[in-house]
Amino acid sequence: MTSLDHLLLLSALTVVVMLAIGNRQAVGWIATLLYSAQGMALLLMSDLGYGTAAAVQSGLSVQVLGHQLHWRFDALSWFFALITIGAALLSSWFSAGEWAQAYRRHGGSLRLFHTALALNVLSMLVLLASGDLLSLFIGWELVSWASFLIMALGSSTATRYAMRYLTYAFAGAMAVLGGLALVYSMVGSFQFQALKTAAPSMDSSSLWLLFLLFAAGFGVKMALLPFHLWQAKAYAETPGPGAAFLGAISSRMGLFAIAIVLVQLIGIARLVEMPIPFSFLSARDLLAWIAVFTIILPTFTALRQHDARRLLAWHGIGQGGYMLLGILIADDLGSAGGLMHVFNHATYQAMLFMTVIAVIHRTGTSDLNQLGGLVARMPLSFVAMLIGIIGLAGLPPMNGFVSKWLVYRSLILDGSPLLFLGAVIGTLGTILSVYKLIHNTFLGQLRLEHENVEEAPLSMILPMMILSAVVFITGYFPGLVLDWVATAQAAMGLPALAHHLGGVASDKGGLDMIWIVSILLAGFAIGTLVFFSGNRHKRVHQLDNYAGGHFLTAETRYQYSDNFYPGLMHLIGPWYRKSFRWLERGFVSTVDTVSMAMQGLYRQAHPSLYLLVVVVSALSWVVIQ
Amino acid sequence: MSMTELIIELTLMPLVAFVLGLGMVLMMRRIAARIQRRVGPPFLQPLYDIIKLYGKQTQISHGLIHEIGIIMAVGGYVAAETLLPVPGMNGLADKGGAITLAYVMMIPSLGLALGVGQCANPNGSIGISRALTAMLAYDIPFILVIFGAAYVYGTTNLADIIALQQQQGPGGWGIMQMPLLAIAGLLTLPAMMGKHPYEIYVAPAEIATGPMVEMGGKFMGGLFVMQCFQLYTVAVLYTTLFLGGGENWLTFLPKIFAVVAIPMSIAYVFPRYRTEDVVRLMWKWPVLVGLMGLAVIMK
Repeated sequence: MTSLDHLLLLSALTVVVMLAIGNRQAVGWIATLLYSAQGMALLLMSDLGYGTAAAVQSGLSVQVLGHQLHWRFDALSWFFALITIGAALLSSWFSAGEWAQAYRRHGGSLRLFHTALALNVLSMLVLLASGDLLSLFIGWELVSWASFLIMALGSSTATRYAMRYLTYAFAGAMAVLGGLALVYSMVGSFQFQALKTAAPSMDSSSLWLLFLLFAAGFGVKMALLPFHLWQAKAYAETPGPGAAFLGAISSRMGLFAIAIVLVQLIGIARLVEMPIPFSFLSARDLLAWIAVFTIILPTFTALRQHDARRLLAWHGIGQGGYMLLGILIADDLGSAGGLMHVFNHATYQAMLFMTVIAVIHRTGTSDLNQLGGLVARMPLSFVAMLIGIIGLAGLPPMNGFVSKWLVYRSLILDGSPLLFLGAVIGTLGTILSVYKLIHNTFLGQLRLEHENVEEAPLSMILPMMILSAVVFITGYFPGLVLDWVATAQAAMGLPALAHHLGGVASDKGGLDMIWIVSILLAGFAIGTLVFFSGNRHKRVHQLDNYAGGHFLTAETRYQYSDNFYPGLMHLIGPWYRKSFRWLERGFVSTVDTVSMAMQGLYRQAHPSLYLLVVVVSALSWVVIQ
Repeated sequence: MSMTELIIELTLMPLVAFVLGLGMVLMMRRIAARIQRRVGPPFLQPLYDIIKLYGKQTQISHGLIHEIGIIMAVGGYVAAETLLPVPGMNGLADKGGAITLAYVMMIPSLGLALGVGQCANPNGSIGISRALTAMLAYDIPFILVIFGAAYVYGTTNLADIIALQQQQGPGGWGIMQMPLLAIAGLLTLPAMMGKHPYEIYVAPAEIATGPMVEMGGKFMGGLFVMQCFQLYTVAVLYTTLFLGGGENWLTFLPKIFAVVAIPMSIAYVFPRYRTEDVVRLMWKWPVLVGLMGLAVIMK
């Protein structure tokens, strides 16, 4: 038994325990303990994360029809597993106290919830541990089913979108299976090494097919455009902390698989050599552009949401684009940015979901039109959300800035202005949208019915505070995470990022977050001094303000979130209403036409026409020959 | 460089920025006055204004976040100034670079937005929604300009960008190397400074709609200080990227004041644009010119 076996067994044990004792009130705490134990088991393997140990093999290996299936952990798996278990630990902690009571009161089953969560963790660990393409496929299927389980626990909307996800996931799995069959027919083995050795000498057309099959198959989980329509609603409606967990890590499994197959095995260098006919783009550019559109379109869709959870879920899709874009650049800076963004995004996304769920717990709604002014009632939740949105928007001093900086920096070095521009447009859209989120939840007018709302319970506040600390500290000292990232890069066969505790030193312009954050804090200190050098101020009631001659009363509701940015929507709104709808309709009608044609063919509706076609093509073949 | 020297630099840089920013505000007001055939304010008027605002007896706060917002607005710029090299002082230029500066410059906007949000005034929220939309509008051409400069000089370190330009003399200045990007930057400048004709979100004389609606006393004073820093930062950044920075203060000062004066003289002739027109305008001309400029430098 190796330490990897211990980890997987512990994870499996968690599933069994959750199934056995599921419906007790204390189940959340037991789950928290068990995830902590898994975390310990993972930390025992921390040599992997710092690159001082070779990959850990699992004792288990299975022989299926002459194919060896085996499982192992390397630095990349360790890095993803750390995020997975951390997210599960904090989510179950969050769920353990009052949330569990409320969930039960509203008819939810804690047994189902915690079993589904534990199954998710187990399946993700199995996927992360996969040592060959066949075990990767098994892990992939497990993850798909497990995430369906937890999504289907939610409201009827969630179930509907979970079903939609299932169709996508099936199609994706079939694509992956097709890819596997193709690999087997060309290479004759499912081992990673075999594909890696064979990839440089494969001919372009079959590699194109392989690339499309894998990118589409794994892209479904990442909700890459155009496979993004299922994710936001399914994640948003997942019950409470489940949404935090899914939002943090679930769709990153797609990124992991893409990183393994396309970056580690086939190699970016090979993708660059595959030009798209009649264009100056390569396969890598194609995927990079998909990543950029995955950043931009979902971000501006998020801007239009008025439900806090959907807004966050849409941003989750958009941020996935940065990660993919980063690892596709494949130099030391870009891929480090992409991988680090997985960690950073998980921390603030989980925290943001938690704050929103805490608000739902206290007020019963996440509809931004029915919230507002909660900052004085829930100050700690406000602080958590503030730190979270600064991270999500990618502004200093939080960790989200560092990973985005790395991606931007490498796009500049790479000389890709349009990709860079796309990435920045996404960030700017994010700032607009997260301001709307915090403004309409915590700032602005407090509603009458929320006059007596209290701060979220301690069991919810503590995980949020821990995550806030992580977001801030890994922004202050990004080297802590970059250590793991650099090892993961090395494990993927990419150049590892040379870094120090504060960031990156480079003669082409580096980044030292220790200095930047310190000077920001000093700046705020000076700002405070300047502020208090003025005359003494007095606090007034929120309704004591100037409204152009009107008297504001608590009955007059003026907090709004629909059409919060009318100036912008005036301009880009029509694109959503017209162009994208038009594209969607165009796509649907193309599929319709093809299906009609197929039906006609199958029923032999126009036999004479077919005869004509066959005769003409036969004749022309003869003529050409 | 010793630690003491660095600390002296880090203290001096924001101070110099503040004083020069006051001068720029004065100049801007004088230009506006001349165009409108007025005399304009006296030399120390900006300083008087700040002292008056901070000393006012009625200081209305709408809560802690209102105060923190103002602190962030001033503090963010204080930090940003240390990232901007000026003659004789490089500060933290090698720790951050152009991209970091661009993002640190968004912190004051976020602070202002948070502060206004806490005021719970519907007019304030409308103003912020317009201000953030304007930020989205002008940051896109601005970021193209940053990309171009970083690409041409092969570094994001602003001190190195200045050194590279000065080595080659005026022919090596950004404005000669990438004239189209310099034009795009010039078109973006007034919007980045939050001035005519892109100031609909402040709209001071028209309607009670804008971020300032609940700001009085030292809150307004904080925003005044922020405005000084904002003018200075934008001017120095443009000078750094396109005008070769300054070998010494004698050549530096005319450059940065000219960078503020030229667009201001033109801008005051125009009426204000509506928010959607700001977006449309910014996304059309500066972006178009900027993209053409990038196409030229990248061949």
